[in-house]
Amino acid sequence: MIAVGETRQSARFVWLRRPLCAILAAVAGLLAIDALIFRTGLYTSILEPESSTGLFELVLRREYQAQSSYGRNLIVTLGDSRFAYYPRVANQQTAVTGFAFRSAGVAGTNARAWYYMLRDLDPTRDRYRAIVFGVEDYDDEDGAYDVSDDLSALHYVAARLCLTDVIPFALSFHSPAERWEAFRGSLFKGIVFQRDILAFLSHPAKRVADVKLTNGGYEQWTYGYVETDRNVVGLKVDWPTLTATLPPGNDVLRYQMNCCVLYRPYPQTGQLAAFRRKWFGRLLDRYRGTPTKVVFLRLPRGPSPRPDNLTQKKSSSIREFAARPGVLLVDEHAFDSLERPELFKDAFHLNNAGCSLLSVRMAQEVAKLLR
Amino acid sequence: MPFNTTRFFVFLALVLVLFYTAPRAWRKYILLAASYYFYASWNAKFIVLLLTLTVIDYTSGLWLERMPPGPRRKAALIFSLAANLGFLGFFKYYNFLAANLALVIARPPRSFFLEIVLPLGISFHTFQSISYVVDVYRGRQRAVRNPVDYALFICFFPQLVAGPIVRARDFFRDLWAWQPPSPDDLSRGVFLIALGLTKKMAFADQFAKVANEYFANLAAHPGALAAWSGVFAFGLQIYFDFSGYTDMAIGMAKLFGFHFPINFRRPYLAGSITDFWRRWHISLSSWLRDYLYIPLGGSRRGPWLTYRNLLLTMLLGGLWHGASWNFLIWGGYHGTLLAIERALRGERPSADEWNWAYLIRAPLTFVLALIGWVFFRAADLPQSVQVLRQMFGGSGGRVLLEPWHFGLAALALILAVGEERSEWFERAIRAPMPVYSSALAAMLLCLEIFGVLDAAIPFIYFQF
Repeated sequence: MIAVGETRQSARFVWLRRPLCAILAAVAGLLAIDALIFRTGLYTSILEPESSTGLFELVLRREYQAQSSYGRNLIVTLGDSRFAYYPRVANQQTAVTGFAFRSAGVAGTNARAWYYMLRDLDPTRDRYRAIVFGVEDYDDEDGAYDVSDDLSALHYVAARLCLTDVIPFALSFHSPAERWEAFRGSLFKGIVFQRDILAFLSHPAKRVADVKLTNGGYEQWTYGYVETDRNVVGLKVDWPTLTATLPPGNDVLRYQMNCCVLYRPYPQTGQLAAFRRKWFGRLLDRYRGTPTKVVFLRLPRGPSPRPDNLTQKKSSSIREFAARPGVLLVDEHAFDSLERPELFKDAFHLNNAGCSLLSVRMAQEVAKLLR
Repeated sequence: MPFNTTRFFVFLALVLVLFYTAPRAWRKYILLAASYYFYASWNAKFIVLLLTLTVIDYTSGLWLERMPPGPRRKAALIFSLAANLGFLGFFKYYNFLAANLALVIARPPRSFFLEIVLPLGISFHTFQSISYVVDVYRGRQRAVRNPVDYALFICFFPQLVAGPIVRARDFFRDLWAWQPPSPDDLSRGVFLIALGLTKKMAFADQFAKVANEYFANLAAHPGALAAWSGVFAFGLQIYFDFSGYTDMAIGMAKLFGFHFPINFRRPYLAGSITDFWRRWHISLSSWLRDYLYIPLGGSRRGPWLTYRNLLLTMLLGGLWHGASWNFLIWGGYHGTLLAIERALRGERPSADEWNWAYLIRAPLTFVLALIGWVFFRAADLPQSVQVLRQMFGGSGGRVLLEPWHFGLAALALILAVGEERSEWFERAIRAPMPVYSSALAAMLLCLEIFGVLDAAIPFIYFQF
């Protein structure tokens, strides 16, 4: 190439200044608009109530508002959909136990989401007498996928992430692809809310009406919620051959059993233990030196739990936590008697009778530990 | 390595840094190496094909310039054209011809079938090569002495896979008298890259989801409304997809100090099909005009031969897109419309001014273009017929587009009219920094809200 006109070395890249400054200004402008819309509560107030973020925010708002209605003996529980119980029934024991229970659990969430939930629900770390985490097992058994790479967490906690969370949140994922997605989603929240925004743009009036209706009745609907009476009586599992006899016409149960119950153990890499140590560790550190106790309880595992010979348990991070001050474990077998087909509606979730029983027993067990 | 990936932008940034930090004498070698790497990232084997064509056309150019006029010179031209069209014909049309031959001699359709992978961008670089060789033959272009220069002309990565089809004189003008891009070029380059990316990811890919859903399963979406909305979605998809790619290619070239011709000029604002083809894929239309329509006689030999030439040119234009009866019909359809318009208009230039008649002509032209897209998008002829039947004879059905899709289309229309009438984009590029940055931020916001990030929808023209 023939150079036309020599430029001085010092001025070599002066011509780059305008486009580079423009790009930087545009990115800064985008960040400012994104922050104005998605970090101020402007958009989160109209999130679809049935979306992951919408539900998470709804539960958080509900529990935040409920704090003032209860006294100092308030206990909050966190878990996924398996931790299904009735706070209303648990609170019928208040006269006996001395404690009031509220549930801040959201279906599909795990310790990573619970950390961000509690950080905003209890900013002063003194609003709860105890925090109860419902877990599937005290032992760490790796499943089919690496839980630390579960991007659904981004969709639950998107509205909770501050700019200072962007890097640590992204780094909490393992694979580069998930890290990148978590990074860009927590920096530019519009990306995470995209589907929600497009649905809103299609039917804005309906969305506003839905949000208004849900905000008005959510506390009442959830506190008074009654689970189905359906059960899985007839379910029998032959564990040596990993085959199940199912009650007729229950396709959901068939799917759940085939995909998530009747399997040979996966290779154990310690990923679940690492995940628990990281996120429960952060939660425990947060409450270290506070009057709030942290309680773990093992949930009823299912109508026909996997036998010990089908699990490989190399470690037990939850039991390790019990060595810390202020951390308590409910007896591991306290709810074994609930692991019966007549108390489950499917392979994982308690039915109405199961929820009622768990509510009473959980309240009693937790109270016993705290007294 | 499609343009709409993080990997590509990392590659582009690295090449830019290398290009501008290296001594000037090295820069074209850096571009050449980057271009071959870019091509090899799709399929390294076809580098051999690219090199073979490069050697043939480079050598042909030198021969054609040195030889005196006569049969040997013509033979050199034919050799070069045969090599280019031979490779293109084999890779692109062999199976189509073989299947039709099998049909004619009543053999199973796949009797002579070969598992052929179409080399990326072969239609584009072949046309580019042909234009170079023909221009040298016609004495309109100096033969390139430096093989590296010629190789770079063929494989320059911004336009290698889907154009625009750059003429040799434009490319070598920039290469041989290379100057660092001006601040205006850089502003324009960055703006076009952002615009192209927005067109592709926020507009094309959103409409692609609807079009793909419709064409993947016609039975699931019966009715005229479903058909029209599916075809409408494809019409917008293909425009935003291809013009988005082109904008990015032109923008990237500007960052390296090269100036590519404009390839799209708001074609859906055209007031006639003739006007449409002056605005759609301009580098192909002008190539077909210069190397096919005019050599065939153009409009110089009376109306009937003009209609024939229009039809032949568009048939070949259709076939250039792909080896199928659908592309041939699409080309024939447009050739016929052009001929009809020519017959109605006579020798008068087409009336493209904005007046009350434009309000009828422009939507009509758009609808005619949409009907053509049915052949372009449908998997085969029976599916095309099925879609057209639904469009014109189907019962109600369901609109496949959400209200926000129409909002997106309305936004695009407003911007297109603004650009057409008042050069909004041009003004934004030349505007003071705050306005220019705001325009970039608006595009980024559009990408954030509408960009399809969770699905890698390939550029349509990468298959040609």
